[in-house]
Amino acid sequence: MTGVKGMLGAVVTAPLGWLARLLDAPLRLWQRVAGQGGMVAFFLLPNMAIFTIFVLLPLVINIAYSMTTGAALFLPDRTYVGMGQYERLLRCTDYTNLMTCQEDQFWIALRNTGTFVVLQVSLLIVAATITALILNRALRALSFWRAVFFFPVLLSPVVVGLIWRWILDRNGVLNAALVGVGMDPVNWLLERNYAFSAAIGVTIWAQLGFFALILLAGLQAIPRDLYEAAEMDGTKPARVFWRITLPLLMPNMLVVIVLALIRAVQVFDEAYVLTGGGPGTATLFLTQYIYEVGFASLLKNPGLAAAASILMGGVLIVLTLLQLALGKRNERKGKLK
Amino acid sequence: MGRIQLHDIRKSFGAIDVLKGIDLTIDEGELVVFVGPSGCGKSTLLRMIAGLDKPTFGRIEIDGTDVTARSAADRGLAMVFQSYALYPHMTVRANMAFGLQNTNMPKAEIDTRIGEAARMLEIEPLLERRPGQLSGGQRQRVAIGRAIVRRPTAFLLDEPLSNLDAELRVSMRAELSALHDRLGATMIHVTHDQVEAMTMADRIVVLRAGKVEQVDTPLNLFNRPANLFVAGFIGAPGMNLWAGQAKGVSVQLDSGALLPLPLGVRVPDGPVTLGIRPQHLRPEVGGPIRAEVRLIEALGPESVVHADMGAGGGLLAVLPGQPDLGRGAVIELGYEPQFVHVFGSDGQRLA
Repeated sequence: MTGVKGMLGAVVTAPLGWLARLLDAPLRLWQRVAGQGGMVAFFLLPNMAIFTIFVLLPLVINIAYSMTTGAALFLPDRTYVGMGQYERLLRCTDYTNLMTCQEDQFWIALRNTGTFVVLQVSLLIVAATITALILNRALRALSFWRAVFFFPVLLSPVVVGLIWRWILDRNGVLNAALVGVGMDPVNWLLERNYAFSAAIGVTIWAQLGFFALILLAGLQAIPRDLYEAAEMDGTKPARVFWRITLPLLMPNMLVVIVLALIRAVQVFDEAYVLTGGGPGTATLFLTQYIYEVGFASLLKNPGLAAAASILMGGVLIVLTLLQLALGKRNERKGKLK
Repeated sequence: MGRIQLHDIRKSFGAIDVLKGIDLTIDEGELVVFVGPSGCGKSTLLRMIAGLDKPTFGRIEIDGTDVTARSAADRGLAMVFQSYALYPHMTVRANMAFGLQNTNMPKAEIDTRIGEAARMLEIEPLLERRPGQLSGGQRQRVAIGRAIVRRPTAFLLDEPLSNLDAELRVSMRAELSALHDRLGATMIHVTHDQVEAMTMADRIVVLRAGKVEQVDTPLNLFNRPANLFVAGFIGAPGMNLWAGQAKGVSVQLDSGALLPLPLGVRVPDGPVTLGIRPQHLRPEVGGPIRAEVRLIEALGPESVVHADMGAGGGLLAVLPGQPDLGRGAVIELGYEPQFVHVFGSDGQRLA
């Protein structure tokens, strides 16, 4: 046995030994040149290289694209226009009327996304909170219900979109059911308000479990005897929620709100599969606008798409910084306890 | 105000009977301590009185009114939790005001009450702080303050001292007793610490496995324990309990020693358990108990001697001073016969 083990050990360690000997000289040299602090940079190098190639470089190239025009894909072949693309995106003769904007589709997508973010996030938070509160009760088959609510989170967004299109389609399951009970069918995805509501509803359905789970974790961290103390004091349930549960849930709640905001700004897959941005431009969101301008339309304009994506990126960076700040604050509070 | 009566209180969780019929009367202004080992049902009983749990059977009366079906809020009681249960996001002042605000009490009255309680507990400088900024002892005071401002008919304290360090526990013990004298309110205090029970209580309720073993004053429990369990539980170090056979006016221990019973005490011949507290044994040349020293814990003013009487008979003796004894030394001990406890084979006290 020991012979086999020893052999296996040698097989595993020998190449590592060679590698160590191979790296020995350059590592020593580097340490002599850069000092011990420099070793940190050495070990971070592989990760930084990947980050640079796949994140930083594309970002820089994207900024460069956003300052050029034309249909050519190869950057040196493109014409430099400075802030021209941004100007085109943002210029309107009358800002109270989106139709007077040079790039009215961008503004429509912006308005749609704004409306979507406000409605979807607030409804999602309320729904996730209620779900978490219900799941937090010691109800029967709790694990089952948790799984039920979390299951949609595991689905690919495209699958979510397809499932709901199958349900909400003119000849879909829902209309078949309506006709079955003697009601008129409804064009759920072909009527502006219904389609927009469907986009909101479906994304909420898809994300609810994830956010409810974060909130549930927060709820379960609230000590039970706080509720018993409130019970001894004869505190009404509503007051318990507003004065005890909600304040103690706030750290989780803030994280949930910011994460939900970020995801709502990025909305694309489910909505695109469900409505394709229609009817008309009723559910055209920013990401879809960028995709269509840059890749899908007949007159591709990569420069304009790049500029729009940089603007959207700005919004996301602000939200991400907010999330990081909140995370740090929670960490500090946690340390204080 | 504050007379609490329990009539045949039972509690079962599924097939497990946690409380098996408790009858108890707690008089107005009394400080009663529930004591017993972990899992004896003492906290469950307290929660039942508080109204946080409902009994499976039985009746709870406060000042003659049946409150069994009433909610916790409608019983006029206040509870101090083991973890203090202070709201971490509120200041001390807000914590104390929270319960009063539920009753729509005018703000001026709330402020007056908080001021009084804060003065009494010396927590005035802490009123604007949050629980996270307080030490354990300070949190404890705030938790008591939160109970005091409600002016309850009775205070229920669930192991309130168990999260404090030993030194602080001793001083808080004294403070709680003083507070009880000052307020004159009924208090029920739950603890597993028999020293806490002995030092604080007007009366102690000893519980075991969901049953009341004995209810009496601390000294009566110490001097005349009703059964083997109470005898072993109350007093530190625990009472020496030796099995033997009663024969006339003395008891022949299984370890061989023949110990005389107090004058005038007769127990029926047969198997008994004989108990003597370690503090009641004293060195006596030619005394009836001979044992070999195994270990000495020298505490300074007194020494705890662990010794072996042979045939598996262990012995504990608390001897005054610092006796010059080594491991293996043979000691001879005696006792005043009136300090002997005799329990029958059913564990109940015979004499």
